[in-house]
Amino acid sequence: MTAPALRIAGDTHVGKVRTTNEDSLIVEPRHGLYAVLDGMGGANAGDVASRTARDAIRDFVLARRGTLAPRPLLEKAIVAGGTAVHTSAQTHREHHGMGTTVVACLIADGRAVIGHVGDSRAYLLRDGRLQALTRDHTIVEELVGRGLLAADEAERHPYKNVLSRNLGARPETRVDLLELVMRAGDRILLCSDGLYGYASAEAIQYLLGSGDAPDHVCRDLIELALRGGGGDNVSTIVIEAPAPPKTSTQVVRTNGATAWWQKRQRFVAIAKERGLTKNPIVRGLDPKEALELVASSLCEAVFHDLEKSTGVNVWTFAQNLAGGWFVRGGDWAAVRGMIDILGASARAVVDEIRAGDRQLGFLLDVAVSRALVVAELALGGLLAERLRQVDTDLIELVSLTDRIERLPEEALYGTEGTDTTERFVERPTIPFLRPDRAVTNPGVSAAVLDGVHKALTIARARTSPRADLVKQVLVALDAISTEGGEDFSTAVLSARELYGVRAIDDAGIMPLFDALDQARIITASSVHQLKATEAGRARILRAISTAHQRLVGATTGLVLEAIAPFSQRLREAQAVTSQVRDAVAKAERQRADLERRFATIVDPNLPWSARGTTEW
Amino acid sequence: MSTVPPLARAYEALRPKMLERMLDLRSTLDASLARLDERTARAQVDAVLEHLGNFITTGDLRLHRAFLQTFLAMRTAEAQSPAAVLATLVAIGDAAAQVAQDEGAGSAEGPELTLLLTRVTASTARALNDLIAEELESRRRSWRDLTHRSRARS
Repeated sequence: MTAPALRIAGDTHVGKVRTTNEDSLIVEPRHGLYAVLDGMGGANAGDVASRTARDAIRDFVLARRGTLAPRPLLEKAIVAGGTAVHTSAQTHREHHGMGTTVVACLIADGRAVIGHVGDSRAYLLRDGRLQALTRDHTIVEELVGRGLLAADEAERHPYKNVLSRNLGARPETRVDLLELVMRAGDRILLCSDGLYGYASAEAIQYLLGSGDAPDHVCRDLIELALRGGGGDNVSTIVIEAPAPPKTSTQVVRTNGATAWWQKRQRFVAIAKERGLTKNPIVRGLDPKEALELVASSLCEAVFHDLEKSTGVNVWTFAQNLAGGWFVRGGDWAAVRGMIDILGASARAVVDEIRAGDRQLGFLLDVAVSRALVVAELALGGLLAERLRQVDTDLIELVSLTDRIERLPEEALYGTEGTDTTERFVERPTIPFLRPDRAVTNPGVSAAVLDGVHKALTIARARTSPRADLVKQVLVALDAISTEGGEDFSTAVLSARELYGVRAIDDAGIMPLFDALDQARIITASSVHQLKATEAGRARILRAISTAHQRLVGATTGLVLEAIAPFSQRLREAQAVTSQVRDAVAKAERQRADLERRFATIVDPNLPWSARGTTEW
Repeated sequence: MSTVPPLARAYEALRPKMLERMLDLRSTLDASLARLDERTARAQVDAVLEHLGNFITTGDLRLHRAFLQTFLAMRTAEAQSPAAVLATLVAIGDAAAQVAQDEGAGSAEGPELTLLLTRVTASTARALNDLIAEELESRRRSWRDLTHRSRARS
């Protein structure tokens, strides 16, 4: 059961906001058992819950490790932890409602068994990529799993932290388990939500993927969460499988970092030559200061990233460079230009190194290209965030503008005047379909008109007797073509007649468009039955097509006009839904608070079933 | 005699392995890929790899940009943020470069292909950022127009 070759470290911090640490850890290298537990519950019950579960899990594993296989052993140990918390909550009134999450890892014979309940997580870093091993037991995550909620919506959902499962809510808990074979170089991270709630996955990946020892990584991860706000207790355990022997690539890479650092003055000089000091981002700065702030900083960031095989320093550099610029209203072009200058300068330096040492230069080339990718990733994040903000502003502004545009009508007739019972066909048409709008190609010869009339007559004769709508379309086409087309009036009037009182919310629209399509097909084949020259048939077909296009255009315009009020109402409904969602979230918080208070003042002699519950 | 550049040929030879590696890693590459069945996910990732192969062969940045525009639009329609789309494409590029590094260690083209794929990823990230920035500018223009009209009316 022992795993002597592993390197392990664990650490926990109370955070910047909380006064007590309700997280608990198990770090038992001798028995291959590791766990993070995050307690919850008022009146300091959270730490009681996590400690109770921690002791029960550890005791169970130590007592039964010879008799059970790792997977059932860990599962039963976690269930025992839950039972212990539940029993304690039932026994002590002040602990009622307490619970804890757990994510535990049992390592035996090169295999890791991961078990979890709640939203504490396990990650695996393999081949430089971070992979989540657990899926949170939250209501929102379960909705995502069932396809009822998009992943993006889940991030903003007011219930995203509400657990659907925890240790202590019930006497027995269902545990999710998975098993994996550990490979050389793998790193497993166990953590509470105080880490991933305040640090991005990218930053976690970079720190976990650095060459630092696990204890340094744990410390850096906690520091990262604290820098991100530190709003919760934060706990981390890092388990590292023995890394493969150092490759020649890594050795050269270390040399690469040194070679890069030795060229820093050259890098700054090239950046200056390429016009860094003239970039709008550093306008107003002394050139020397600009070079120091931008070129030297990037050079240093690349050096540290090379040393540690990470990208976090370049990421931070890019974010700092562009973040402030964007906040000041700066444009992308300046940032793009700056990155181009820095990238070209870096490549020039690498080329010089390559001339002296081909292999080292090649490796540096890959590393510098990779650093530029990291910079673009950081910039993309900033751009996407600004896009999201502008989208939000735009939606608000559109709603506001629409309300302002509706004001005079409402003021004149009251809101009842714009209700849905009014037939939209009686309201003015949208500008481009006004009957008085002149057409661009008016007039056809009498011979063509005669041909059109004949073709449409043949088409009507070929139409099924029950296809009334198709026949009406053909009559309309005849009228539009015959009139000669001084303007769009016939097309608009025909479209209104055809459209009639069709509703947009049932099958009323599609038969009309089907009829328009069928009329087009029948007409086209009818033209071929006319006794006329090829050129004459072409002119007739063109005239009918023009009429058909006008009719379709006019009909589409009416449909657009019909749905306009609905889209406005939809936007308004979305705004109201958002307000209601906030209100519900607030009410839920108040309810939970009241129930917690109620639990502490209720008569202890009542049976449990009569006291209510605060558990989900 | 083949006109396909040697690195493009080396890439095509490694493409099946890259596809398998990406399918193994798909939950980290892209959350939406993780939810797809194996066959659909395979088809989607392979489409990206095929495009990268075309880009390596032709070096046509306009075609590359057009592909990214479509990719971004499709992913946005699936409610993914542009940042997530960028991360997905970079992860795919990284995984491809990793396979080239692992598999081509002994060959003449392996290291060069690794470098090329890393540069392609950098070009991809830049082109996608350009697209996002253009979209941002277009929305800002709309915002300014609407603000102007709104002020004029009020």
